[in-house]
Amino acid sequence: MKKRSFLNKCTRVLAAVMAAGTVFVSVPQMVNAEDEEPFDTYNYDYWEDVVYTPTPYQTDGLVNGIGLTFQGEEIGAFNNPQDLCKDELGNVYVADTGRQRVVKLDPTLTKVLMIYETFTRDGEEDGFNNPTGVCVSQENKLYIADSMNRRVVILDVETGEYLGMVDNPQSDILEAGYVFTPLKVTVDYANRVYCVAQNMFQGIMVFEADGQFTGFFGTIDVTITLWEKFWKKIASKEERNKSQLFIPTEFTGIDVDEDGFVYATNIDENGEQGVRRLNPKGEDVIKKGENSNVGGDLWINGSSDYSGPSQIADVVYRGKGIYSVLDRKRGRIFTYDHEGNLLYIFGGRGTQEGTFASPVAIETIGEDIVVLDALRNSIILFRATEYGSLINEAVALRYDGDETLAVEKWRQVLKLNENFELANVGIGKAYLTAKDNESAMHYLKLGMDKEYYSIAFKRYRNEILKSNLSGIMTGVIIIIVGFVVYSKWRAKHPKGDKKVKEKQSDF
Amino acid sequence: MKKYFSKEKWKYLWYTLSHPMDGYYWIRRKDKGSVPIALLLVLGFSLCFSLNRYGASFVVNDVNPRNVNSLTELLGVALLYFLFCVGNWSVTCLMNGEGRLKDICTAVGYALLPLILCYIPATILSQGVAADEEAFYFIVMGVGIAWGALMLLMGIMQVHNYSLGKTIITLFLTLLAVFIIIFLMLLLLNLITQVYNFFYSIYTELVFRN
Repeated sequence: MKKRSFLNKCTRVLAAVMAAGTVFVSVPQMVNAEDEEPFDTYNYDYWEDVVYTPTPYQTDGLVNGIGLTFQGEEIGAFNNPQDLCKDELGNVYVADTGRQRVVKLDPTLTKVLMIYETFTRDGEEDGFNNPTGVCVSQENKLYIADSMNRRVVILDVETGEYLGMVDNPQSDILEAGYVFTPLKVTVDYANRVYCVAQNMFQGIMVFEADGQFTGFFGTIDVTITLWEKFWKKIASKEERNKSQLFIPTEFTGIDVDEDGFVYATNIDENGEQGVRRLNPKGEDVIKKGENSNVGGDLWINGSSDYSGPSQIADVVYRGKGIYSVLDRKRGRIFTYDHEGNLLYIFGGRGTQEGTFASPVAIETIGEDIVVLDALRNSIILFRATEYGSLINEAVALRYDGDETLAVEKWRQVLKLNENFELANVGIGKAYLTAKDNESAMHYLKLGMDKEYYSIAFKRYRNEILKSNLSGIMTGVIIIIVGFVVYSKWRAKHPKGDKKVKEKQSDF
Repeated sequence: MKKYFSKEKWKYLWYTLSHPMDGYYWIRRKDKGSVPIALLLVLGFSLCFSLNRYGASFVVNDVNPRNVNSLTELLGVALLYFLFCVGNWSVTCLMNGEGRLKDICTAVGYALLPLILCYIPATILSQGVAADEEAFYFIVMGVGIAWGALMLLMGIMQVHNYSLGKTIITLFLTLLAVFIIIFLMLLLLNLITQVYNFFYSIYTELVFRN
């Protein structure tokens, strides 16, 4: 066994050398600014250890409004922008909160297509007061969370005409005197409006298409540990009044996928679940993957300001089950697939280009990722590298069920990063379907997939047993016959037995 | 050397394995045991322990083989072994225990033999185990551990000529003694560092004084 592991090691080292060689050889053709990125790119392996990876996304400039013109006039720099979204054509809408407007940019982020600043409502001129959230519905209506005016304004995307609004929710379940302050908003295919409101701990507020408040959605349960109960019991009344209230956390960001499932982020103080996938009934149906964690970083120990669980600020659904979440604590972007596997991690805080000061929102244009930084007043653009887009393609193919097509992509991913477990598992599963059990075992072991490894192993074991059945049976018969003959011979010649017995009685 | 590693002593090790009560009794009364063999067993157990952590199939083993360091593990096992022996000795001295430190060391060392005997086959078995057959592996491991624990209990009991109840009480007290020893060691270490720092600062004062 020792020999085997030694051999394994040798082959592993050889493979690493070869993989490294291929990477270096293929460098000239591809865009490669990998070593220049101002942030760490890594992933977590089966043992939850950090494994550094090639750069999946690299910085490609930023847009801060300066130099952009609309109808011949400079639009000026953004001021404290809080949200951004895109429509089906890839146009980007920025809620420029500090300047009380929403700016529509084309997919290249170089041209201003529209500025929504004022609109006519009931014959009167009206404007925004701190618009903090934007969203475009499938019917090309622009929903703007106009926070300090306590309403969600609905405008026509093309003309900027006023179409209606959602405000002043009325219901028995709301406290008397409740002030509605919408922060983020999203709309599903049925024009239901999901709204994250300030100081609303009961969940996401849902409004029907006609603006009627229907109830709360996706309430986060509060869990009280036994220890906390114990302290509460022995605490005095004054202490109890002073102690923190057990209230659920608020949602921070929201997005909706094509099937109407709502992705909503919240700040989890344990760092276990920063994002939820809510079905139409408001139940969380997210898959948490192997580490049972969709809360960003797994290594959160330490006592500095920089340590502690990730604070997930926003989520974007990117199609084919892939979604990315934005950690505002360390400025990292975590991308998961539909099974909750971490695909890649990139981004960081800092002052260099490509890092964030206060990231608040994330959106995707095609394969690119854009992040909105409220403190730096800019949109930061990231483009997929070869490594990143290979993973995206492979995951998309697997999501569609084309596992065999995905294998080719996974192989290319492995050439760039041979430590990527998901790629090994993908290849291993393909071998498993092709009934090449030995290769499947090899790859599934590298991918640390116990379940599928066991399937391959059982098949392999059966194969070996079947092909060597005659030999094994002969061996068993020979052993049995030998044993019988020996014991009979031993019964006839009880040599040395007495001596042993004498000795033992001595003890 | 011959006295410690004679054929008879090795044979007696196996006899103790299958007849712990009787075996341990004569280890105390007639010096049938051997401390060097016991120490070898500790070394062997530490190696098997590391081997198991390193080599057991990933289906049953959650340890990252890259993090296994057999030297640190040997140090840990040896430290625990000596702490236990000394702790037990210091407790039983006060509780009319008849065992000498030598007997305790032998008893505890011999009790590690079943663990060695089960860790190796379990590690080999793990190579041929699939995800839903983990039970076989854990049964082998469990039998070894239970057998070892039983041997330890009987060993302490026979070496000191205790009843079962008293043995369990002393084992519990041994644990306390181990903690006290660790605490005192740390305290001592801390004090020594402070004394050292004191003299070192005097030295630096003198060196930097013109």
